Amino acid sequence: MRPRPSAAIQLVSVVRKEILQTVRDKRVMFMLMVAPVLQLVVFGFAVDFTVDNVPTAVVDMDQTQASRQHLRRILADGTLRRRLDAPNPEVSGRALETGEAAASIIFPYGFQRDLDRGETAEVQVVLDGSDPNRSTGAALAVSRYFAQTGAELARERALSRAAATDLQRPPMGSVDLTTRIWFNPGLATPPFLIPGVLAMLLVVVTTIVTSMGLAREREIGTMEQVLVTPMRPQILLLGKLLPFLAIGCFDVAFGLTVGAWVFSVPIRGSVALVFAATLCYVMTTLGIGLLISTFSRTQQQAFLGAFLFAMPALLLSGVMTPIRAMPEWLQLITLFNPLRYYVVVMRETLLKGAGLPEVWGNLMALAVFGLLILTSATLRFHKRLA
Amino acid sequence: MNRAQRFFLRIGALAAKEALHILRDVRTLYLALVMPVVMLLIFGYGVSFDIDQIPIAVLDLDRSATSRELVRRMVAPGEVILGAEVDTAAQGEHLVTIGKVLGLLTIPARASEDLAAGKPVTLQLAVDGSDGVVANQVLSKTEALARSIANDLVGVSGTPSPPMQVKMWTRYNPQARSVLFMVPGLSAYLLAIAAVMLTALAVAGEWERGSMEQLFASPVGRLEIIVGKLLPYLAVGMLQLLLVLALGTWAFDVPIRGSVWLLLLVGFLFLVGMLGQGLLISVIAKNQMVATQAGALSSLLPSMLLSGFVIPIENMPTVLQGLSHIVAARYLVHALRALMLKGAAFSDISRDLVALIIFAVFVLGVATARFRRRLA
Repeated sequence: MRPRPSAAIQLVSVVRKEILQTVRDKRVMFMLMVAPVLQLVVFGFAVDFTVDNVPTAVVDMDQTQASRQHLRRILADGTLRRRLDAPNPEVSGRALETGEAAASIIFPYGFQRDLDRGETAEVQVVLDGSDPNRSTGAALAVSRYFAQTGAELARERALSRAAATDLQRPPMGSVDLTTRIWFNPGLATPPFLIPGVLAMLLVVVTTIVTSMGLAREREIGTMEQVLVTPMRPQILLLGKLLPFLAIGCFDVAFGLTVGAWVFSVPIRGSVALVFAATLCYVMTTLGIGLLISTFSRTQQQAFLGAFLFAMPALLLSGVMTPIRAMPEWLQLITLFNPLRYYVVVMRETLLKGAGLPEVWGNLMALAVFGLLILTSATLRFHKRLA
Repeated sequence: MNRAQRFFLRIGALAAKEALHILRDVRTLYLALVMPVVMLLIFGYGVSFDIDQIPIAVLDLDRSATSRELVRRMVAPGEVILGAEVDTAAQGEHLVTIGKVLGLLTIPARASEDLAAGKPVTLQLAVDGSDGVVANQVLSKTEALARSIANDLVGVSGTPSPPMQVKMWTRYNPQARSVLFMVPGLSAYLLAIAAVMLTALAVAGEWERGSMEQLFASPVGRLEIIVGKLLPYLAVGMLQLLLVLALGTWAFDVPIRGSVWLLLLVGFLFLVGMLGQGLLISVIAKNQMVATQAGALSSLLPSMLLSGFVIPIENMPTVLQGLSHIVAARYLVHALRALMLKGAAFSDISRDLVALIIFAVFVLGVATARFRRRLA
């Protein structure tokens, strides 16, 4: 019997075979290399959580200078957009029902008269609450406007009253707040979202593809055939996973380039840190794919299993909605979610320019997850083969 | 036995065979039915943008009773909480960078003396802008707090009648519960996954294993194969829809204000279209791996992003808005929301029904046509 070839030769030959197999199928190549970035671009353009351009039905029954002026100023910041003018609240209510408008502002008769007389002038706002993010955003904008102008008017009234009654001017010591926005002054969505979307796409490319690929080998029985060769199982596995590690890193590099170029996603921190985190993260996601494949007999099962992992993991990672907004017990669960740590490291490094000292804890968590999951998956894989 | 009887007999036989396939593979069935439950629970509890307590760091350069009183007033209502007290701006910036707090409030030196002298005092708030949605919440909540403190100081809050007042009503979902918004959209998403992915994988699997050729050798026609294959998956999809709706109404009190039958009709039409799309993908891909990725790209992604499920369509660039018109999920999401939350009638959603029918007929037609070519 000839001696076993060295580990390096074994590894190189598996990697070569895997790469050849992948490269030969152009469709798979497209799916692994181009599709993720395509999705990234769609996400970048489609997802915009800032509430603006809320279609608004305007009912100005007062038809005075005051009502027109306040209407113009409410609409000025762009949160609400005038979609239609309705003659009465019934018509605007109907627009809300059909979805033509999502908000309606009603200036009742006597708005200016009440203002002039020093009484309380009333404005009515009706919101379509079916999208809570939009309705609360619109409500905030409206109440902010009325609180501000209301305070100004109240001040004027207080002053004129004081002047009329010939009293001393009221004490004018006041507090105001200036705000500054760090890291993302335009409050744009893409710089925040794209690091998260990358994490999500890596799950698709690595977890789903590995779990299905290995399940496929089980289906058609090629794994057993390779095992009768002098190849060591560990090396076989390593050889199968390495190309995906490379593809994952390539996707991140490509995605970040496109992100920086199309969506001006900043890269403020160290690129090395980004790739260190990516390496740990892809180890985790590949390990999970491997683990799922050991539980599934068919590709269909592997896909569903991977999906059943991916969806909750994504939702509980802070990619879309902030972890802080979750109930406490759910926040505890997110501590066991490797995606969470990757998303945090990516965002802090890219957007906030954080260095190793800042992201150390999260990076360590990611590394521990990667090693733990990959080792346990490998062990299980062996047991299944034996 | 006449032709029609034989036609239905063959479809029945094929459907029974496919149903056996599904039932034998209990794991797939479990996964297909457990998934909606898990997703709905996570969406119901986990998906919200509203942060109840916003932690901020305070840099008090004044260190007086007045400045402490200002901070106390900021945190008193509980919306903003004191995450940390720092001594330097650098410390505060570090806490914001690592995400421990969402903003840094700076009270300038001599604030108490200025206030006592009747001069205006400017507080500074630096906000972590990385998450725009959260930053907006921080801004609006702190601005409102600062305004009410300012009003208290000037004494206007004691004025008998405020000059202007806005009365706000929120219809359909007054408590702004995210879950009411999510359940209709989620149903569309889950149906898309079940229908497109399961059929695509199942049919692509037959191509891979070569059992499709065997079917062709039998006397069944291609329409019979298609209908027979799709029927069991239609049943699984309808089961998922019922499961999501039942759980939504039971666990999260999502209302169904319109007609349940109309709801099921919309769901049915959508499912037929999605099954057709899955079939089309598998006929083209003939490989499960490619079918998965193509399915994800062509159905999961659009039905998540371009359906209005989580992201409002009106904010999107025009190209994507146009694209959203050919996404079937868009019509389903709209119809489900109208039916469940607004109690819409048939006439309100007739456009959605027509769109769904057109989509289903088109996709199934193309899939059947492609199927024939594969046979030749």
